[in-house]
Amino acid sequence: MTSDRCFEEEDLLALLAGDESPEAWREHMRGCDECRELFSAQEPLRRALDEPARQPIDTLVKTARAHLEEALPLSPKPTAYYDAWPDTPVGPLLLAASDRGLCAISFGSSVDDFLRRVERRGFRPAPSPKRVRQAVKQLREYFAGRRRRFDVTVDLTGQTPFQRQVLEAAARVPAGAVASYADIARAIGRPRATRAVGAALGQNPVPIVVPCHRIIGSDGGLHGYGGGLDVKEKLLRLEGAPIR
Amino acid sequence: MTALTFETLLDRHQREIMAYIVRSLGEHDMAQDVFQETFLRAFRAYKRLPAEANHRAWLYKIASNACHDARRQRARSPLPLDESVAAPERSDGTARVLAGAVAAFVRSLPARQRQTLVLRKFQGMDYDEIAAVLGCSAEAARANVYQGLRKVRAHFAEVDHD
Repeated sequence: MTSDRCFEEEDLLALLAGDESPEAWREHMRGCDECRELFSAQEPLRRALDEPARQPIDTLVKTARAHLEEALPLSPKPTAYYDAWPDTPVGPLLLAASDRGLCAISFGSSVDDFLRRVERRGFRPAPSPKRVRQAVKQLREYFAGRRRRFDVTVDLTGQTPFQRQVLEAAARVPAGAVASYADIARAIGRPRATRAVGAALGQNPVPIVVPCHRIIGSDGGLHGYGGGLDVKEKLLRLEGAPIR
Repeated sequence: MTALTFETLLDRHQREIMAYIVRSLGEHDMAQDVFQETFLRAFRAYKRLPAEANHRAWLYKIASNACHDARRQRARSPLPLDESVAAPERSDGTARVLAGAVAAFVRSLPARQRQTLVLRKFQGMDYDEIAAVLGCSAEAARANVYQGLRKVRAHFAEVDHD
C-alpha cells in the first residue's frame, strides 16, 4: 500500500508506534521533499525506540531466581542428566535422562539451545555421560541395524495429555512400518485432529526412541521432521520401511 | 483447577518479566527486588487464578503494579536514583546513546503512557495484549502510546535543534 498524501502528525506517530511501515510511504516520499525531510528527521528516534534492549538479562534472572527460590516453598526441580554424542549417523545428538527415564533427545550441537529447552520443561540440567549410557548403547545398536525396538523408559514431563496420547500411539508403530497422521488421529479417537497430531509429533521430546519419524502423510510424502527430512528418510530406510 | 505448576509459569515467563521490569525501572538492583516482589505476589494469588486465565497478562499486570509501587517508594527516597533523562549531546549522539536516552525519557513519562509505551515498543505487544495487562480498552492503550510518543518526539526535537 502506498500513500498519496503528505504526513500528518498522526502518521509520524503511527510510524514511531510501529502501527505503520515506512514502506507504505516510500512512493510518496520519492516525490515529496518535505515529507522525506520529516521522515529523515524522525528516523533516529524511530530506530532508537526499536533498539532491542542490550542489558545482560540472563545473569540478572539467574540471581533473582535463586533469591526467589530461597523465599518460596517451591518443590525442587528434577535433574536431567545430559551428554552430547557428536558423531552419530544422523549428525550430533544431545540426550538427557531424569531419574524417571530418558527425557530429551535433540538433533544438532547447540548445547545452550538444548539446555534452554530442557529447563523450560521444568528440569535442572546437569552433565553426566553415565546417566544416558543405556540410551546411547541402544541407539548405537539401532543405528548398526541390530536393534528394532528400544527398551528404555521415557519421561514425558511437560507434555500435555493430548501430546502424550499421540506419542504413545506413535510408539505402537513398529520398526519397518509407517502410519499416517490420520491413522494416529483415528487411533486416539480424534479422527479430525490430523493437524494437531502433526503439531504434537513436532513436540516429541525423545525422537527416534519414540518413533515419530514413522508417521508420514496419507499421500506417502514424508512431510515434516524436527531433525530434517533427510534424517527422517534415513531412519525409515534403516528400518526397511516401505517409502517412495 | 490450575493447569500449570507455578514453577512452569516461572520458567516460561521469568525472562520477559525481568526484561519488562528493567525497562520500566532502568535499574538492575531495584529490578531484582521488584522481580522478587512480583513473583511472591503471584505465588500468593496463583491458587485462586482460574486455569483458563491469561497467565502471561496476569503476570505482567502484577509486575506493572510492583513497578508502580517501587517508583513511588523511590520518589520518596532522598537519593537521586534515576539516570538523567536529558537527550544526548550531538557530539556523542550514536544510535546506542540515543536509545538509552529515549528509554530513560520513556521511564520519566506519566504511569499510563510509560506502561503502554514499554509494553508496545520494548515488549512488542499488540494493543489487545496491552489492554489485557492494564485492564483498559485497546483504544485507550493506543491513545496512551500516542500521547507518550508525542512527548518523546517533542522532547528530542527540541534538543536536536538547540
